Amino acid sequence: MITVRLKKGCKLNIAGKPALETEVLAKPSHVALVPERIPFIKPRLKVRVGDRVKIGSPVFEDKRNPEIKFLSPGGGEIDVINFGPRRVIREIVIRVDKKEESVRFKPLTDQELETTQRDDLVRAMTDGGIWPFIKSFPFRDITDPQGRAPGIFINLGDSEPFQPRPEVYLQGAAELFEFGVRILRKLVEKVYVARRPGDSSIINSLNHLITHTCHGDYPVDDPGVMLYHSKKSSEENGSWYIDGQDVLHLARFFKTGLYPIERIMVLAGSQAHESKHFQTRAGVPLTELAQWHKYKTSGVRFVAGGLFRGYTGAKNSYMGFYENSLTLITQGDNEEAFGFIRPGYGKPSSSKTFLSCFNTSELALNCGLHGELRACINCGYCAQVCPVDILPQFTYKSVIADEIEESLAHGLLDCAECGLCTYVCPSKIELCARFKQAKAAYYKELV
Amino acid sequence: MMKIIKSVCDAQRHHFSHGGKLERFKPLFDATESFFFIPGIATVSDAHVRDSLDLKRFMSFVILALMPSFFFGIYNAGYQALIVSGSDSVFFPAFIKGLQIVLPLVIVSYTVGFFWELLFAVIRKKEISEGFLVTGLLFPMTLPPTIPLWQAAVGISFGVVIGKEIFGGTGRNILNPALTGRIFLFFAYPVRMSGNSVWTVIDEKTPDAISGATPLAIAAITQPDQAIDTVLSQAGYSFTKLFMGVYPGSIGETSALACLIGALLLIITGIASYRIIAGGVLGVLSIGWLLNILAADSSMAWQSLNPCSHLVMGGFAFGIAFMATDPVTAPGTDASKWIYGFAIGALTVLIRVFNPAYPEGVMLAIIFMNLFAPLLDYFTIKQRLRKRIANV
Repeated sequence: MITVRLKKGCKLNIAGKPALETEVLAKPSHVALVPERIPFIKPRLKVRVGDRVKIGSPVFEDKRNPEIKFLSPGGGEIDVINFGPRRVIREIVIRVDKKEESVRFKPLTDQELETTQRDDLVRAMTDGGIWPFIKSFPFRDITDPQGRAPGIFINLGDSEPFQPRPEVYLQGAAELFEFGVRILRKLVEKVYVARRPGDSSIINSLNHLITHTCHGDYPVDDPGVMLYHSKKSSEENGSWYIDGQDVLHLARFFKTGLYPIERIMVLAGSQAHESKHFQTRAGVPLTELAQWHKYKTSGVRFVAGGLFRGYTGAKNSYMGFYENSLTLITQGDNEEAFGFIRPGYGKPSSSKTFLSCFNTSELALNCGLHGELRACINCGYCAQVCPVDILPQFTYKSVIADEIEESLAHGLLDCAECGLCTYVCPSKIELCARFKQAKAAYYKELV
Repeated sequence: MMKIIKSVCDAQRHHFSHGGKLERFKPLFDATESFFFIPGIATVSDAHVRDSLDLKRFMSFVILALMPSFFFGIYNAGYQALIVSGSDSVFFPAFIKGLQIVLPLVIVSYTVGFFWELLFAVIRKKEISEGFLVTGLLFPMTLPPTIPLWQAAVGISFGVVIGKEIFGGTGRNILNPALTGRIFLFFAYPVRMSGNSVWTVIDEKTPDAISGATPLAIAAITQPDQAIDTVLSQAGYSFTKLFMGVYPGSIGETSALACLIGALLLIITGIASYRIIAGGVLGVLSIGWLLNILAADSSMAWQSLNPCSHLVMGGFAFGIAFMATDPVTAPGTDASKWIYGFAIGALTVLIRVFNPAYPEGVMLAIIFMNLFAPLLDYFTIKQRLRKRIANV
């Protein structure tokens, strides 16, 4: 077993951690697909408003590669298709019938799995809409079905605030997870499973599958960080990765022959009235997950998919394809008098310039910048937290100077997009966003 | 109280916003308002949350760390002035006297420097950076207490304009602006910046009073056949006295103790790099010790000085704690910070020993190494990137 020890990263003690208990959420009246939040794809609609769909009917495909399909997470009628600026497809909303129908796919038994050809398996996965769960490095795009990879990383971690805990979604699904790993072994020779240290009996029961243990703070369990710390050669840069919960979806698909729509999600954050796990389904409306009717507050931001990498969802929006968490925190756009000389016992900071460094209790974060944009003063805080040993303050300069070769030599493509450099920057520079843009621009040049 | 300030700000904002009468002076308005209030801006992209530390607090901590040296400097300037005039040198009168000497310098430094900052901010239509708060205080603390105010004004102007603004402002300057200003004065007005008479303010009533020589000056005129440590302690400069700092010198630099307190605060809070400071101390000690070994009978007296004395003499403690650690002009990688600090320490000793014409070696050493900081980064980054597994 490989042990990854991350000395950098950032210890985050944020209020609003989800409890381990799980509540079953009532069936929503509408579910949706949110193509806008799936990076890189160019969706081509396969349905129109008013069309009838089953669970598992194709709703849109990726123009870049029509093999990659996204299926309906609900059975019923296409209620509305919302477009954004420049006709970007925001949401495809499905009004769910009381009794939903499902498309039947061909299930696989354990024996059949052993004898299936790889190509047939890939085709079954793309047709079944579960292929997009597998993403590839370094650009974190959906994997090319024709592609091959030196290895695939499965992440059983939840270090980013806040993500579903693996011991919750693996509850009673350990065998299913093993089946999922076997499916992935048919695709990729080396399957790496990474966990964080802990004494969860469910994860311990999977110890024979675990290849990496990762010690450290956020984002140690990110597959990109794991890849960076365990790779031996440049060939491994094109590895694939998949989230632990998504492995269960693959397994469920082949066990049942039905498009998997059940999800374990978390509701968390300092503004959530109860922070815990919910058993619900893909594409759930954010307000239903948040149980928004119970709130009277305003100035709350809905962050889907984690505080560092997620997106801000409009309150009438829906959970994206990859996101499994909803964090509610205050908007933080109120001014603060003499903020720069306050002792700050309750102000979270990774620096030691606030009295909060003596405060061991969980502190509430808000979405405020807590300052204004300034020039980079080369303080190097970003380099102290970067999990993949990039020097963001220098890489940033080569990126804005359009020095592609230099940026790449600095390890731009190793960037785990964890957002910590942006988080710690006292000059409030959007480092991570700039890196992601630069990576995407380079990716566009390549394809 | 805060509500009143808030309502004043809100009432005046329209003058400074787009199309207002005073639109050009928006940087001034923004600087004033953001002094009182951290602006309520929310994040628009990921990461959704941000650390509470901003540049204003970052710089405020440097100012906080300067406070021991600042107050000690005020007291010491007054104390030295009272001693030579023969008055009783008790604490409060000395402090009041010191305030009379130091405050005008600080006010001139801030006002004149702020004028240039504002001018460039208005022309460039950019916000005023907090970096100047530190420069404006650092600069007067490096000056002799007798400096005429107009020279202080010229010095800070040179420091801010040539040392910083012509390169593009805070974050883009290659030289430490406060030190650039001081070096300018040092070479432009040597009579006012060196010698024995400039370190103590002498009242017009007692023109015959003789001020004491600084330890650097004594060391520089020590003959090769004299033991330098003895000469210094005969002049009253024991190690303890040098460490405590009650002797004539530039306002902020005499007390190594006060600098040590400031340096510790900066290191503990992570504002300054301990690598630079530790590297500097290491540089002084190792080169000082090396020169001790190489010292022959005929070599300069400086050469046999106890290396520890180098740490507490002159402006080394002040320079390494507050000037060398300026992140903008220091290199950025860990390795190059060690080299940078070490080279500053080593050069300080070398300049002091081999070029007594420039007794204040640390000032020149820091500015010299400022120039090399990008080169150090270039090589250490190259070395670092060699270890990466290529990903293109």
